[in-house]
Amino acid sequence: MTWTNVIVQGVLFGGFYALFACGLSLLFGVMRIINLAHGDIAVVAGYTAVFLVPHLHIAEVWGFIVVVPIFALVGYVLQRTVLQAALDRSPFTTLLVTFGLSVLIENLLLEIYTANGQSVNIGSLIGNSWQVNSTIYVSWFELVVLIVAVAVLGILQLYLSKTSTGRLIRAVSDDREAAQICGANYRHIFGIAAAIAVATVALAGISYGILTELTPTTGGSQVLLYAFEAVVIGGIGSLWGTLIGGILLGVAQQVGAHYNPAYQVLAGHVLFLAILALRPQGLFGKKEALT
Amino acid sequence: MSGEQVHGDEGIVVPGWGSVEFGRRLGLKAIGATALAGGVASLAKAAAAGAASKSNVIKIGYVTPKTGALADFAGPDSYVISLVKASGAFHKGMKIGGKTYKFEITVKDSQSNPSVASQVTTQLIQSTGVDIVVTSSAPETTIPVSAVCEQAGIPCVSTVCPWEAWWTGVNPSNSIGATGNAVGTSPTYCTMFFFGIPEFVGTFMPMWLKIQKRLNASNVYAAMFPNDADGNAFAAAWPPTLNAISGAEGHGQWVEVFGGAYTDGTTDYTSMIQTFKAGANGKPCDFYVNAPLPPDFNTFWKQANQQGFKPKLATVAKVMLFPTDVYALGSLSNNIATDAWWTPNSPYKSSLTGMTAEKFAARYQQVTKTQWVQSMGSTYSLFEIVIEALKKVKNPHDRKAVAHALREVNYVGMCGPLNFSAKTAPAKGIGIIKPVGIQWKPGSTKLVGGKKWPWSPYVVDNSLNPHIPLQASLEPTNP
Repeated sequence: MTWTNVIVQGVLFGGFYALFACGLSLLFGVMRIINLAHGDIAVVAGYTAVFLVPHLHIAEVWGFIVVVPIFALVGYVLQRTVLQAALDRSPFTTLLVTFGLSVLIENLLLEIYTANGQSVNIGSLIGNSWQVNSTIYVSWFELVVLIVAVAVLGILQLYLSKTSTGRLIRAVSDDREAAQICGANYRHIFGIAAAIAVATVALAGISYGILTELTPTTGGSQVLLYAFEAVVIGGIGSLWGTLIGGILLGVAQQVGAHYNPAYQVLAGHVLFLAILALRPQGLFGKKEALT
Repeated sequence: MSGEQVHGDEGIVVPGWGSVEFGRRLGLKAIGATALAGGVASLAKAAAAGAASKSNVIKIGYVTPKTGALADFAGPDSYVISLVKASGAFHKGMKIGGKTYKFEITVKDSQSNPSVASQVTTQLIQSTGVDIVVTSSAPETTIPVSAVCEQAGIPCVSTVCPWEAWWTGVNPSNSIGATGNAVGTSPTYCTMFFFGIPEFVGTFMPMWLKIQKRLNASNVYAAMFPNDADGNAFAAAWPPTLNAISGAEGHGQWVEVFGGAYTDGTTDYTSMIQTFKAGANGKPCDFYVNAPLPPDFNTFWKQANQQGFKPKLATVAKVMLFPTDVYALGSLSNNIATDAWWTPNSPYKSSLTGMTAEKFAARYQQVTKTQWVQSMGSTYSLFEIVIEALKKVKNPHDRKAVAHALREVNYVGMCGPLNFSAKTAPAKGIGIIKPVGIQWKPGSTKLVGGKKWPWSPYVVDNSLNPHIPLQASLEPTNP
């Protein structure tokens, strides 16, 4: 029964990592952009939920309805301006630019909102859970995040494979020149992909703000690493892989913590390193993605 | 996670017996930075040059974490300094040895970073030519500042740092003895006031006893100490000190359920919560104590609620000291207990102007439109202490005489009675203030200034300091 709980809690929390990793996976899979500002954008979304939503006279728990579209727009604009300009130069420039963006965001937040921790407050909802049996409690909030993660990744996968825009995104990602010859406006396509990616990041950032406290540097120091690990474990370019990667990371941490809380974070990193060593393309990744 | 974490240094940090290494590390860092900035010899020279000056200005340097993770502590700095500057001695000047001296206060930001703290202290000494340095807020600030001052021979007063950490940090050959006593020699130029582990026990244990009696609670407590300098120190010091004090007062022994040395920044605590829920000896963990980083407590407490771990009383150290943490946690903050080293309802007054604690806090809220925080009292007292020491010297530029006078300071001010050479003090030059237990509850217009905030701290236990009246009854965190 103890082990059941370890797995249940690991899977629940893994959904959270998967949600975080989704945007990163998409941006890299489609545009080959490693977005080092990923975690910081999530934190900005959390801050937006904390500071903007109370002015709108809606319950904070529904804040994502406002924040997520805003960030989709931010994603599109960001791609069409800063990221595209960097991408036109070289893939390495995007690394530098997103790193710069990360530093800029962290310091702006620090300047405007100080180093104080902020939490998205959803009131007593956060404490609600469903008691499965005497030892297993399932947090409603974590369950919702897991469901959202599965839904978001699933819908995205369907979107990319079934819709014409989705097919265009994949086409541009596979061979930009060929797609352009066929008449695809790749900049616009990239913009749409970035909009989706940043919208999911916003969703993850708000969840993170509900779960814990956000500070201006949370994004760079904590969030980004786990998101990367989930993407790498699952395999670059595979959205389902990202979901599995996130869940495996969550379970590995829980198993480590079961032996000793000191091993919780370590166990996740060990899994990540093991995957890197044994299957560098990730569990569901294609080998050619590495080249 | 990585060392860049902002909250990595936040809160008052409470190392105790096991904190020698931590202190040494900080001390060494400070020394390293000093050496970088031109060497110890030149510092001493600068100090000597200052001492020779016949200037009629007394320069005070104040090192404080205005930005970064510890910025909460420094919130009231500008307000406090504006009041200090308006007070008689600072405004009109002070007559010392037949000569009237004026004051200059230079504030430097430590950025919540030990290396920056020692660098700006060196700047204060070399460029500004300060006569006295005062500093506040956490070992990350006070230890490097004190270490630099001690080498340069500049009198220094610090506060808001457990004395055990300061003692071993300022002088690496100092240590903490088996009974929690100070072993070693007092610094020549540096003094400090605050409290230590026994006062934490003295604040938290009476609250546990009350709840234990009222609710017939167990003697088992959950302990959440992270795998960092403070957490390890607390993990080592808390159980023996608690049982020693409990035994000496004729109470029973307490049984600890240790959650494990988790990593700072952990985002899932369900495994630890299972351990706590299992309890010990067939009894549940009815009490909870910790020394975590604020975001980690935030996460833990929400998950404890979800997972059904509801200790009857939670007494936390290092977090929930300031309204920021409380508002971030929202309604789950209700009746969480912590310590307060200064409260507006204390019967104390400014030794500079006679302003009462109540008025001091009420005016702060009026001027800044923000809720009072407990660090304002300790910061104010730093400047009171400087004046108290200067009253006893003939030449304020005589470093040795000023340092000597600082170690003899014995007065009553904003933080209450303070005696740096008391027989009960851990060592000469360490003043002990007595904290009280507070609980966060919804605010009320009956509190300071008639201003109602969403959440306010209420004094619920004054076992250590009966001068401070109770404001509410101690309630279980989870009934």
